[in-house]
Amino acid sequence: MIRFENVEKVYARGARPALDGVTVDVARGEFVFLVGASGSGKSTFLRLVLREERPTAGRVYVAGRDLSTISSWKVPSLRRSIGVVFQDFRLLPNKTVYENVAFALQVIGRPRHVIKTTVPEVLEMVGLDGKEKRRPHELSGGEQQRVAIARAFVNRPQILLADEPTGNLDPTTSLGIMRLLDRINRTGTTVVMATHDDEIVNEMRKRVVELKTGTVVRDEAVGSYGERESILPTIGGTPVLDAPGRNQPAIRVTPEPADLEAERAAEEAAERAAAEHAGPLVPVPAEPPVRTRRAAAAARRYPADDVVQQVLAENSRARAGREG
Amino acid sequence: MRLQFVVTEVLQGLRRNVSMVISVVLVTFVSLTFVGSAALLQTQVDKLKDDWYDLVEVSVFLCPNGSTAPTCAAGEATEEQIDALRTVIDTELADVVAQTYLETKADAFAAFSERYPDGYQGTQLTEDDMQASFRLKLVDPEQYQVVADVLTGREGVEVVEDQRAIFQPLFLALNRASLLAAGLAGVMLLAAVLLITTTIRLSAMSRRRETGIMRLVGASNLFVQLPFLLEGAIAAVVGAVLAVGGLWLGVKYFVTDWLQQSVNWVAYVTVGDVLLVAPLLIGIAVALAVVSSVVTLNRYTRV
Ligand SMILES: Nc1ncnc2c1ncn2[C@@H]1O[C@H](COP(=O)(O)OP(=O)(O)OP(=O)(O)O)[C@@H](O)[C@H]1O
Ligand SMILES: [Mg+2]
Repeated sequence: MIRFENVEKVYARGARPALDGVTVDVARGEFVFLVGASGSGKSTFLRLVLREERPTAGRVYVAGRDLSTISSWKVPSLRRSIGVVFQDFRLLPNKTVYENVAFALQVIGRPRHVIKTTVPEVLEMVGLDGKEKRRPHELSGGEQQRVAIARAFVNRPQILLADEPTGNLDPTTSLGIMRLLDRINRTGTTVVMATHDDEIVNEMRKRVVELKTGTVVRDEAVGSYGERESILPTIGGTPVLDAPGRNQPAIRVTPEPADLEAERAAEEAAERAAAEHAGPLVPVPAEPPVRTRRAAAAARRYPADDVVQQVLAENSRARAGREG
Repeated sequence: MRLQFVVTEVLQGLRRNVSMVISVVLVTFVSLTFVGSAALLQTQVDKLKDDWYDLVEVSVFLCPNGSTAPTCAAGEATEEQIDALRTVIDTELADVVAQTYLETKADAFAAFSERYPDGYQGTQLTEDDMQASFRLKLVDPEQYQVVADVLTGREGVEVVEDQRAIFQPLFLALNRASLLAAGLAGVMLLAAVLLITTTIRLSAMSRRRETGIMRLVGASNLFVQLPFLLEGAIAAVVGAVLAVGGLWLGVKYFVTDWLQQSVNWVAYVTVGDVLLVAPLLIGIAVALAVVSSVVTLNRYTRV
């Protein structure tokens, strides 16, 4: 899905290469953490995938396209297959949650009826159902990041890039965001996430690529954050991060109630989706019939999104199993 | 969807920097008014030429008695000299001269008496005070010089005169006015380009967040730039429409309703001519806006 071959990137004003002979291959559907000290080239890596920058040497392939030779008028179509999330959310302050997410579809010319069905769906998925009319400043950091993720995912990209998405969030809220990214990853979306958050990396047990002054010094299929590994006790965590704050309750910052609420809402959305697909397997909570109709209609119209629904279902089955 | 979205964006952009937009409108209005004035003055000159050049002739004055011109040393032009001149005009100037008419002293006196029946400035003139001449109507009035070159200095010819010369000062003045208007138009157009550039740049900067996100989610270059482009174009076209309106009013009230009433033997520009100039002005406005926005936008919102 993403392949770097001996990629070197020297910025016009850079003293040393930001990336130097990087060779990395990310398969379809993988979840990869990019770790490394500040200035090690993580953001540069992501910018190369987006073709915001071009490599000074080597080749970058994304979704079967060779970015070193792609013509600039094809770049928009490349970017439509990539979602991006940043540490600073980058929401439009004068637009509501709904408008922020819809914006991503409007500017690529999606028809109105598609927007009308897709946006509520994705908002429900990230747990922001009912907050469509809020503006970014009326949301907590965690909720804002959920909006950003919804915007990145609303076009169902093949790849999701996240540059320190939890950098501004407290650990519990971060965990909620990670859960969301994990869920998105399970829809088949390839996720590449640059982070400094050792706790998250260690808990997720995903592939870790470590950069150091522009070179890959480590690439482990099931990795941990690195240097701090010895300091932190190994956690026998589950791959699914379904218990916020389970292991270190003492050091948790009290999360924003709103974030918890969003988290709960996302869970409920998953459950509802599960209910629709798995029928009697999962106990169905009483729900407003309006919502069912909408979700059902959405599922009818977008059979491709079944995979999302399935994953949501799977998720909640796992939870139900643990609890029951 | 696309269209509605673009329209909303454009309206938002226009509302966001109203004062800049107004200044763009005003500057294009003034500059295009000058462009239009220059064009209308040229039209006026052409009309006058069309009208008047049909009437004007070249006069070849023949030697009268007592002329001091060297070609008239032999006294009054003789029949032979006149015949010789007629032959020259019919052969050498056959292509240039459309009509030849010999105005004898008698003809001239008749015309004079009709015009001034009570004598000229108090003196009664006689037929002998008149001067015979050839009146030549040219195929192309601009070719006076050819006629002058051939006939000047021939025996029996005192002087060759171009009636067009009477109009020259007027045409010169109109041409200068039109040049002046064009020059001012040039300066104002430059100001308009710079102002549109600045406006679009400000607009692009104030919406950098939006355009940044648009680029990230894969909006096409055209889609990112179109709202800005339209913003500039709309402001410029409004300016052009105002300019057309201004010229229309100017021609209607100043020329048609006033000049035409007071001096009515001249063919003037009409409001119809203003409408002919209108597409030119609007075209210039659009070109200005598009050129300045493309230059600016490529620097500020490139993918
Ligand atoms: N636009 C630029 N021009 C010049 N040098 C740059 C530019 N962007 C980044 N660099 C340099 O490239 C190197 C890698 O930067 P990059 O932003 O990729 O690091 P990072 O791993 O993302 O760091 P952080 O964890 O702090 O975000 C750094 O030395 C940085 O100074
Ligand atoms: Mg970075």
